[in-house]
Amino acid sequence: MTDSKYFTTTKKGEIFELKSELNSDKKEKKKEAVKKVIASMTVGKDVSALFPDVVNCMQTDNLELKKLVYLYLMNYAKSQPDMAIMAVNTFVKDCEDPNPLIRALAVRTMGCIRVDKITEYLCEPLRKCLKDEDPYVRKTAAVCVAKLYDISSGLVEDQGFLEQLKDLLSDSNPMVVANAVAALSEINENSPTGAPLVELNTNTINKLLTALNECTEWGQVFILDSLSNYSPKDEREAQSICERITPRLAHANAAVVLSAVKVLMKMMEILAGDTEFCGTLSKKLAPPLVTLLSSEPEVQYVALRNINLIVQKRPDILKHEMKVFFVKYNDPIYVKLEKLDIMIRLASQSNIAQVLSELKEYATEVDVDFVRKAVRAIGRCAIKVEPSAERCVSTLLDLIQTKVNYVVQEAIVVIKDIFRKYPNKYESIISTLCENLDTLDEPEARASMVWIIGEYAERIDNADELLDSFLEGFADENAQVQLQLLTAVVKLFLKRPAHTQALVQHVLSLATQDSDNPDLRDRGFIYWRLLSTDPAAAKEVVLADKPLISEETDLLEPTLLDELICHISSLASVYHKPPTAFVEGRSAGIRKTLPIRQGSTEETATATTSTTANEATVIPSQDSLIGDLLSMDIGSSVAAPPAQAAPTSSNIDLLGGGLDILLGGGAPDVAPPPASSNTGLLGDIFGISSSPTLYTPPKTCWLPAEKGKGLEIMGTYSRRNGQISMDLTFTNKAMQAMNGFAIQFNKNSFGIAPASPLNIGTLQPSQSLETGLALNTTGPVQRMDPLMNLQVAVKNNVDVFYYACTVPIQILFADDGQLDKRFFLTTWKDIPAANEIQYTLNDVRGTADTIAAKMTHNNIFTIAKRNVEGQDMLYQSLKLTNNIWVLLELKLQPGVQHATLSLKTKSTEVSASIFQAYDMIMRNA
Amino acid sequence: MGGLWSYFRGLLGAREMRILILGLDGAGKTTILYRLQVGEVVTTIPTIGFNVEQVQYKNLKFQVWDLGGQTSIRPYWRCYYSNTDAIIYVVDSADKERIGISKDELFHMLREEELTDAILVVLANKQDMAGCMTVAEVHQALGLEALKNRTFQIFKTSATKGEGLDQAMDWLANALQNKK
Repeated sequence: MTDSKYFTTTKKGEIFELKSELNSDKKEKKKEAVKKVIASMTVGKDVSALFPDVVNCMQTDNLELKKLVYLYLMNYAKSQPDMAIMAVNTFVKDCEDPNPLIRALAVRTMGCIRVDKITEYLCEPLRKCLKDEDPYVRKTAAVCVAKLYDISSGLVEDQGFLEQLKDLLSDSNPMVVANAVAALSEINENSPTGAPLVELNTNTINKLLTALNECTEWGQVFILDSLSNYSPKDEREAQSICERITPRLAHANAAVVLSAVKVLMKMMEILAGDTEFCGTLSKKLAPPLVTLLSSEPEVQYVALRNINLIVQKRPDILKHEMKVFFVKYNDPIYVKLEKLDIMIRLASQSNIAQVLSELKEYATEVDVDFVRKAVRAIGRCAIKVEPSAERCVSTLLDLIQTKVNYVVQEAIVVIKDIFRKYPNKYESIISTLCENLDTLDEPEARASMVWIIGEYAERIDNADELLDSFLEGFADENAQVQLQLLTAVVKLFLKRPAHTQALVQHVLSLATQDSDNPDLRDRGFIYWRLLSTDPAAAKEVVLADKPLISEETDLLEPTLLDELICHISSLASVYHKPPTAFVEGRSAGIRKTLPIRQGSTEETATATTSTTANEATVIPSQDSLIGDLLSMDIGSSVAAPPAQAAPTSSNIDLLGGGLDILLGGGAPDVAPPPASSNTGLLGDIFGISSSPTLYTPPKTCWLPAEKGKGLEIMGTYSRRNGQISMDLTFTNKAMQAMNGFAIQFNKNSFGIAPASPLNIGTLQPSQSLETGLALNTTGPVQRMDPLMNLQVAVKNNVDVFYYACTVPIQILFADDGQLDKRFFLTTWKDIPAANEIQYTLNDVRGTADTIAAKMTHNNIFTIAKRNVEGQDMLYQSLKLTNNIWVLLELKLQPGVQHATLSLKTKSTEVSASIFQAYDMIMRNA
Repeated sequence: MGGLWSYFRGLLGAREMRILILGLDGAGKTTILYRLQVGEVVTTIPTIGFNVEQVQYKNLKFQVWDLGGQTSIRPYWRCYYSNTDAIIYVVDSADKERIGISKDELFHMLREEELTDAILVVLANKQDMAGCMTVAEVHQALGLEALKNRTFQIFKTSATKGEGLDQAMDWLANALQNKK
């Protein structure tokens, strides 16, 4: 007896019973059975095995039964894609049913069935329904087009549905117009190129504006949203749109109001700001926004978040409405905090008295978070409204007198900012602050207090005692406080060197020897070195004038603000984040920007990437890079004994030490290859004759002579016979000979590191030497941004120089990057569609075969070639040295200069560089 | 005795007969279905899926399933076999090239256990077309002489002109009544 019996379908059980009921002759029984099936489906039981039987119940004149079957289909068509074809004919028939409800039901269900195999059969019925005599059917069909676009964008474009949808914009029924608009905007957002597929023009806009007054509230939202994506051609048009939209501000639905506000905010960008029209428009915007604040708290919150953006963009609109943002005792905390934020933004000289008395009131409330924010708000008012600073400070002092712990701490934090803003004005209060020294237990407050002591050390007689008391528990302090303490003590020492030497030595040793916090240690070392080498310089650095702080520190960045203004009344405006930050799969979508007023500067077209990418950037000065320098870890890769250069504790040579090791005790095991110094060129020639090499970009200047104290470095990357190397030309443009060359790379994305030391001896003045530096990819890895950036340090007897250059990714394509055909297919399918990125190559010359040959030289392997409808498809694969596989599909059209490149890989970060490599190879090799 | 039995059944409300119309794509299945149901020629498009209609012929009620004949749909014919009383197999007499495929599909279908008792009517359709095969030729091309233990008959029809369908249905009605 075989075990196959376990796999034969049973003649018992629930499924079998349902099956026989579904095939029953009696209509009632059938309906009951389908209801049972739907019930099982809803609770999560798998009833997909009944697919054929349920589908057979589809052709019925009973509307209830039909709806149930449709419901089943929407759920299970995906799991039975082949069998779903049996339902097509019924859809086709139902789309011609005399009952418009059935026609609409059919077309709606069709849109929800996401099965590729049957979509093409559904086009004809959809086309008919788009022209249906019944508006409800037309409206449903319009939405269906958007759904179909999501499944198969090509089909929608080929079948001309976009044009039909556009025609629906002029439909006589406003409901149809609204839905067509909704469908179009969804399609535009999903368009693969990011460019809108259907542009609105004056004509269609007029039709939309006409429909606006007649359709439902949600229809109005759709229409307003797409109006906001339209850029009027001139001011007059913008003005007329504004006039026709303004009545929407009085709508009862908050969504309609906010969408109208969005459109008006955008249109106002185009209108000249000083006109009377713009002024009245601003006045008209205020009341509806105020009205929104009388709705329930959740809606209030959304309104407040949007108002927060509007206030930042156009403070004038709500400048007289301060009172509505005063906090009510029964507001939920999230509303309170948001209102407070807006209050500060609106605070000005005219209303500051009112605001301050409110804030003082808030500071005595019970909710800790709210009180803290209120205290901060007082500080921000002081910084923002200069004439009120004095009153704010006295208010803060009053609050400090309350001795409520968290109020005091918060007050000290903001007073620090006030000191920054108005130096030498309010120092008289320091003594009051010092009284509360012992009560401070939060790091931020302690750090602020320490900063104040350090900054005004010369006026606080017992500053050294105060700081010394902090030092006792140095190790237990928060890093923030430790850093401030270190700085404050150094400041104190520089101001009053007489009695504080012991103190400063104590803190420096605490920071450099007992701490394992790298930031603290580095800062300690730098102070130490500064103090030991040049105290005057130390004074200049540590006691330098600080840049003034601005009044609005938490404003959104202007470009982000403009983008968010375009997203008013959406989640983005509540999060204050662009949609791409929290919606997945929308990265291809274009960023919305506010329209530019005519006459203002036109934005220039983006520069070509290929030229900018090759430019090497010289890192400006080494001082700013001290942090980087340490992480570069110069010298360690050659594994020299570090004992040789034992720096004395007083003079720790951070900068030179590493490289000295490299030069002095270095190269114990790596014998320099006997290759002559001009291998660079000769190698090229030999390389080409022996085996085809990959495309090597021409050398570019990485380090110009004026930045390299006379040393000029030109370079490029190449690969010969599988060996990656950096081809360098060193030119000495200085007056004296250079020697003692060494090179070191920072950690980089692919672990590129020199495989041998730099083979350059002495470089005489105006001499030029070429060398090839062999590279390997076994070095330390750290993801760089941009990805292919490589930071290089070159040392000679003159100095250490730093520069960054871009590594062409093609040198990292491995020799064994060829995939088996079948393996290619499965891998391609395995990688999710979201990881597919498309790119258009311009200026493509040559046939598919010559291109394939070119690519092979660069270790891009062609797996298969197909000809589909006159287009050549090349399927290619490549492997990076760190085992990232990249699969590509290149679509070439004979006689057409551009080609489409689709890329699939698990790590999509590399895609931009790969596209660049393709461009480079296509154009040059 | 059989007559009396069916008489009672008639009184009790006769069970609907389940009939499948099968055949290759473009043979005229849908046209035949609607010719039977409404007596008219309707314009049809290829059936991707199925049609099902109630047909009243004389005093008999049929539930007639017309399944699409496309290659992609043929595998699903088998989902419809159970409880089938009769099969109307339609052949395009003018399509000499695919008569072999038609034969294969027919015999493949007849091998199914669920259809052992089903009555078979073969319709050599499109007899109005010039140069089509005669009934005898179709009979031979389908290899019907090899059928044993099966009640079957072949008719020449033209669905568009309405010729031959009545004879076929008459025969079928009789055969179904006799079967009981």
